[in-house]
Order: sequence, then C-alpha cells, then structure tokens
Amino acid sequence: MVHTLNKEDMKSAAPIDTKPKKFVIWLFVVSSTIMFGGWTSYYIVFAASKGKGHGLVLPDVFMYSTAALIGSSICLFLASRALRNGQIQKQRLFLWCTIALGLVFGYLQVEAWSSLYHSGAAMVNNNAAISVIYVVSGFHLLHIFAGLCIVLNALIGAYKEMPIETRKYRMEIASIFWHFIDILWIYLYVFLLLNS
Amino acid sequence: MSTISLHDTHNHDSHDDHGHHKETFLTKYVFSQDHKMIAKQFLITGIIMAVIAMGLSILFRIQLAWPDKSFPLLETFLGKWAEGGRIKPDFYLALVTIHGTIMVFFVLTAGLSGTFSNLLIPLQIGARDMASPFLNMLSYWFFFTACVIMMSSFFIQTGPASAGWTVYPPLSALPTAISGSGLGMTLWLISMVLFVASSLMGGINYVSTILNMRTKGMDLWKMPLTIWAFFLTAVLGILSFPVLVAGVVLLVFDRSFGTSFYLSDIVMGTQVLPNEGGSPILWQHLFWFLGHPEVYIVIMPAMGLSSEIMSVNSRKPIFGYHAMIYSLIGITILSFIVWGHHMFVTGMNPLLGGVFMITTLIIAVPSAVKTFNWLATLWRGNIRFTPAMLFAIGMVSFFISGGLTGIFLGNASLDINLHDTYFVIAHFHLVMGSAAIFGMLAGVYHYFPKMFGRLMNSKLGYLHFWITFICAYLVFFPLHFLGLDGVPRRYYAFTEFEFMQKWVTVNILVTWSAIIAALAQVAFLFNFFYSIFKGKVSSQNPWGANTLEWTTPVERLHGNWPGEIPTVYRWPYDYSKPGAEEDFIPQTVPFSQTMSSNMPHDFEGNAEAERIQREWEEKEEAAGRTKLD
Repeated sequence: MVHTLNKEDMKSAAPIDTKPKKFVIWLFVVSSTIMFGGWTSYYIVFAASKGKGHGLVLPDVFMYSTAALIGSSICLFLASRALRNGQIQKQRLFLWCTIALGLVFGYLQVEAWSSLYHSGAAMVNNNAAISVIYVVSGFHLLHIFAGLCIVLNALIGAYKEMPIETRKYRMEIASIFWHFIDILWIYLYVFLLLNS
Repeated sequence: MSTISLHDTHNHDSHDDHGHHKETFLTKYVFSQDHKMIAKQFLITGIIMAVIAMGLSILFRIQLAWPDKSFPLLETFLGKWAEGGRIKPDFYLALVTIHGTIMVFFVLTAGLSGTFSNLLIPLQIGARDMASPFLNMLSYWFFFTACVIMMSSFFIQTGPASAGWTVYPPLSALPTAISGSGLGMTLWLISMVLFVASSLMGGINYVSTILNMRTKGMDLWKMPLTIWAFFLTAVLGILSFPVLVAGVVLLVFDRSFGTSFYLSDIVMGTQVLPNEGGSPILWQHLFWFLGHPEVYIVIMPAMGLSSEIMSVNSRKPIFGYHAMIYSLIGITILSFIVWGHHMFVTGMNPLLGGVFMITTLIIAVPSAVKTFNWLATLWRGNIRFTPAMLFAIGMVSFFISGGLTGIFLGNASLDINLHDTYFVIAHFHLVMGSAAIFGMLAGVYHYFPKMFGRLMNSKLGYLHFWITFICAYLVFFPLHFLGLDGVPRRYYAFTEFEFMQKWVTVNILVTWSAIIAALAQVAFLFNFFYSIFKGKVSSQNPWGANTLEWTTPVERLHGNWPGEIPTVYRWPYDYSKPGAEEDFIPQTVPFSQTMSSNMPHDFEGNAEAERIQREWEEKEEAAGRTKLD
C-alpha cells in the first residue's frame, strides 16, 4: 500500500526547490488581478451604459494612504536589499517599518470611507459606481491583511534560527505579494480618479 | 522497471524501520498531502455528488413524464416538497438548479480535473508531488466543505436555491422573490465561493507543477496530451473563476447590504423597491465570462484523457499530436471571447452579436480538428475494445452529435428561436454533459489500476457502457425536437400549455431511458467499490502504455518513484513503430536502445545522433550483405 519514501532518498533525488512555490504566488497574483479586473470592467460597462461614473471628488485621505503604501513598498525593498547584504538588523528594522506603514494604510482607508460616507456617498447607493469604490477598496484591504501576515512571516524568519535559503524564500514571497498589492492599489486609485 | 518495483517490495520492511513520517489514519486517508490520495478523495466525492445530482434529475424527470400522477413514495421521502405525492413547482425549480450546479461544478470540474490532474500531473511529468502539497490538500477540503454546504440547503425550511444554475438576478438578488431565493441562495453563494477558492488553489498548483517540475528530458513537446489538456484547463480556471467571484461578491452585496449593482425599478407585490440604476445584464456578462470558459474547463480534460486512451488502445500514435495541442490552445484563447452567445436575446447590439457569432463559429475549427484527429487515430488501428476505450469513443460520438447543434445555437439569428428551449438542453447535455462524463469514466476505467493497484471488471464495464451510451442518446436526442417546436426549458408541467401537451408522451420515453441509464450506474458503482478491495491485481503496465505513470511500482509510494525519477527520451506515442520489437516503446527508453526503429525525425535535427544512426544502419546493411554472400 501507500507508504512514504525515505526522506533522505527524496532529498538526494530532488534538492529543495523554491521556484514552483514562488510561481504559485505569481499565479495567485494573476488571478487576483483578474478579480479586480472583473470589478473595474463592471464599472466601465456600467458607466458607459448610464453615461455617468461615481461623480465624486475622492477624499484627500486616499492620497495620504497611497503615499503610506508606496512608502511601505520602498521599506520592503530596502529590507530585501539588507538581507542580500547580510545586514540582519537593518532587515528587521525595515520590515517593522513595512508593517507599520501597512497598518497606517489600513487606518487611512477606513478614514477615507468615513469621509466618503459623511460627504453623502454611502456604500448603499443608487449609483452602483459609488458602491464599487467601497467594494474594490474593501477587497484590496483584505489583500493588505493577507500581505501583512506574509510580511510578518518574513519578519519571524528574520528573528528565528533558520537556513538562509528559507529566509530568502520568505522575503521573496513577501516582496512579490506586497509590491503586487501596492501596484494594485495604485491601479485602482488611478482608475477611480480617471473614471469619475 | 520491473526490477525497481521488486526491489521496492523487498525493502518494504526496512523502509518502515527508518521511522520517518509516521503515518496515522488521519494523515494517510483524511488530511493527506499525497497527490494520489487527494485524487482519490476528489474522485469518490465526485462520484457521490454525481449520484446525488443524477437522483435529482430522475425526480424532475418523473414530474415531466407524469405531471398528473401521484407517487405517494415521493411524499414519504420529500415530505412537504412533494405533498400528495407530486413534486411542488418550487421544489422542481430547486431540483433543476441544484442538478445543474452539482453536475457542472462539483462533478465535471472538481470531480474531473480534481481527480485526474492530481493523479496524473506528477505521475506523467515525473515529479514527486505537486508544487505545494499543502495547498493541494486545502483545495480538497475547501471542495468538500462546499459540497456539504450545497447539500445542507436541502435541509432548511425554505429549500435550496432555485434561480437556475446561472442564478440570474433579480430572482437571485431579492431574498423574498421566491422561497429558494432566501437562505438557500445564500448557501449557494457561500458554497460557490468556497468552490472557486478550491479550484483556484488546485489550478494554480497544476500550472506551477507542470511548468516547473518536469523530469529531465520532459520538454513541453514531449508531454502527453492529458497533461496539455490539464494545463490549459487550469489556465482557463485561473483566468476565469476570479471573475465569477467578482460577480458573486456584487450579488452578495445586493442581497445582503442593499446596494443596486444588478437591481433597478423593481416592484414586489405592491411595494416599490428603492434600488435603482443597476442592471441584471451586467451579472450575465460577469457570469458568462466565467461560464463559457467553464464549459471548456469541463470538456478539455475529457478530451485529453480520451486522446491518450484512444492512442494506447488503438496501438497507434495519436494522429496530429501538434495539431491536437494547437487546437487545445486555440480553444483556450477563443473561449474567452465568445461569452456573448449566451446573451444574444438580451437586447444586445446586433453588430456585437455578429462579432460573438463569428468568434463562436470559429471554435468549430479547432473542435473539428480534434474530432478528425481522433477518428484518424482509430483508422486502421489495432483496436483493443477495453471499457475505457469504449467510453473514449463514446466521448467522441457525443462530442460530434452535440457539437453540431452548437453551430445552430451559435448563430445569432437562429438563436432567437432556440434560446432557452429544450434544444439548448439537448445540445449541452450531449456536448459537455455526456461527452465529459464519458471522458471521465474512460479515465476511471483506464487509470483505476494506477489508483488502487487493481483492475475493474470489464464485463460489468461493457454492460455499463452500452446501457449508458444507448440511454444517453435516448434521453437527449428527442429533446432537440421539443426545442425546435419551441418548448421552453425549466417549465414545470407540460399539461398546462396546449402546444406542449403532445410532447408528454416523448417525455415518458425520455424519463424511462433516464431511469434505465441511472440503473446502469449501479453496475459501475458496484464494479468500482468492489474492485477497490477484490478486483484482479494489476500488473505494472496493464495496458502496454508509454507514459511515465506506468513506470512507477504497483504499490503506490508517497514520492512515486523509489530511487531516482526516470529520464524521458522520446514523445509518449511510439506505438507500433515499424522495426521495434514490441508495439510500444516507453518514454524512458533512449534511442540508443531502439536503433532498429529510429526514424530521421526522431532526432529533431541533432546531427551527432543522426550520424550515429546512419553509421549503425550502414553497418547493419553491410552485415546483411555479407550474410547474403
């Protein structure tokens, strides 16, 4: 019947390869992009058929949150570079910055929703284009939450005793995902700015 | 290769003595991360779901054949949903909805791709397991949870979702619209989100495994057609399922939070709803952007399996290997730009309708290429009619007879008459229902030894095939004529309309055929479960096939190959090669061992190899001459 092969056998036959797993993250990025593509195409078709978009001046808070997110991406980039140069202390510091800025971003997004809500553009709205703003930024925030967990995983890797390959692997996963959600937000923000 | 398996059996004890990975019942059979076990989990769950969905179809077929008759037994089982022994209209709608949902998603997507992608991808490309075995396990358990939630909707007061498997709003978006739009619809949506998560995890894993983990020598153009089919199916899933999620999320917002994505100008009874500005057509766009690729997600694995099985059992190389792959790629690309043909009658701009019509009809080209290639593979083959082979041929038969009516339906002007009639039912039940399920059954019969180390009984297999094949045609063929007469789908009782009454007698034939076909599945179920434990023990390569999975030992190891993974030297279809000793040459046999059968094109322009071959041939010729002298 089914029984497991000797672990040493397996290792000698196939050295640990992180490439397939990194590729998994890339494919996730693709499918997630398409999900947001679904919403933005809903928006385009909706706006085209009704002859109107959300028609709002987006709150300034979105600008600050965008800046915070770009900042966090830069920090993550610096953290990766620090790891490459073997500066563990620096890597930890920048990872903490990434997480902090990510949290700031989350907070500012909620602020932006409340400012939208108070300006009269609530989610439950007869203009579905306004509801889309909440849906895309909300689901983006869920991605941020997942991204924070992955960055945290890389941070744990920077504190725990583990092989350098595993550390690098965790950092790479975090980089792919975090930069992706950064770019994703910029896309969504610019999209909403252009299609008002 | 037989020495490898022997070696392994002898060392069986010493393997266990090492004491690594203690496997408990839980890690081996339940939360297994071994792709072969996960494949079996998908298969058995899929079979159970298929039996349930088939049972549902028999229930509504009974209603259609005998709308005025009372069956007290139904009330015993269904209670208030069949008061007085007759199925209620609400429940009838629930039955067709859940039948469609289960068959399309749970059986023919998860049951088919989940089983055979998981089983065959690592085995046929020469990998120890999937890229992420953990994600793979998660994929199954999401699927399982989705199944449980879907079935749980039969046990709630208001009954399961009833808006059809496409759940068009506003029916699905207004919880008070019909009884099935309430909690049942919510459960449907939750179940589908879990299902999509499951198939994304699966699909991502399949693509990553195929692209990154092939064994030495296995370049893309040496992969079996099964792998190509699974690969492109997974790509389709990754690109289209997220759009369904996007649509479903908006639907959930409409239902639960009062947004107006799909709703506008609705009066419920005497009450005017506040929703304004949305459009139900937008749901159809989002849904069919997934929905159309979905039908290829269903059929392409069946195509891949049939190609492989037909080549093995015809003892001939598959006809047009490259053409087969290019047509799969063509179908994959085209499937994304045809979704509008489901919406010809939604008031679509005729020009746009024309565009969708052209793209739709172009799909006939790669489909026809594949069909002719299958027929040419059979042509003058040394055919072995195993049950798997019969089912593969049956798949081709259904694909042809169902595919032809696609040309009618893809035509924007003809579709005005045919839309939402039984013609559509007949079309897709043949081309993607029956064809895909036959491809899946072919795979089950063919790969059963790889899953359980035993063979299924072929006599029962023949019985299963012939009854199912004949009855499937008897069920679906007459439905074309109902459709041409304008009988609409989803109607509860044909006796209510004058022009439909004459079709009730046809419905009786169809229902009896469906019942007999359902009974034939008992032969399969018995055969399947009996053979798991008591079937004839299989040899390592029972079908004389070339692909890598048959080089693994009959005992299924976690890690697939004891020792090194084999290297691949040739394409998978060297059957009945002139000059070869046997009628098959496995992919692991290098050309240096088959000098007598090598062809110039085998070397793909490798000058060194060609020179060696030429020298060998000259030597042979010289030796032949001296012998003659």
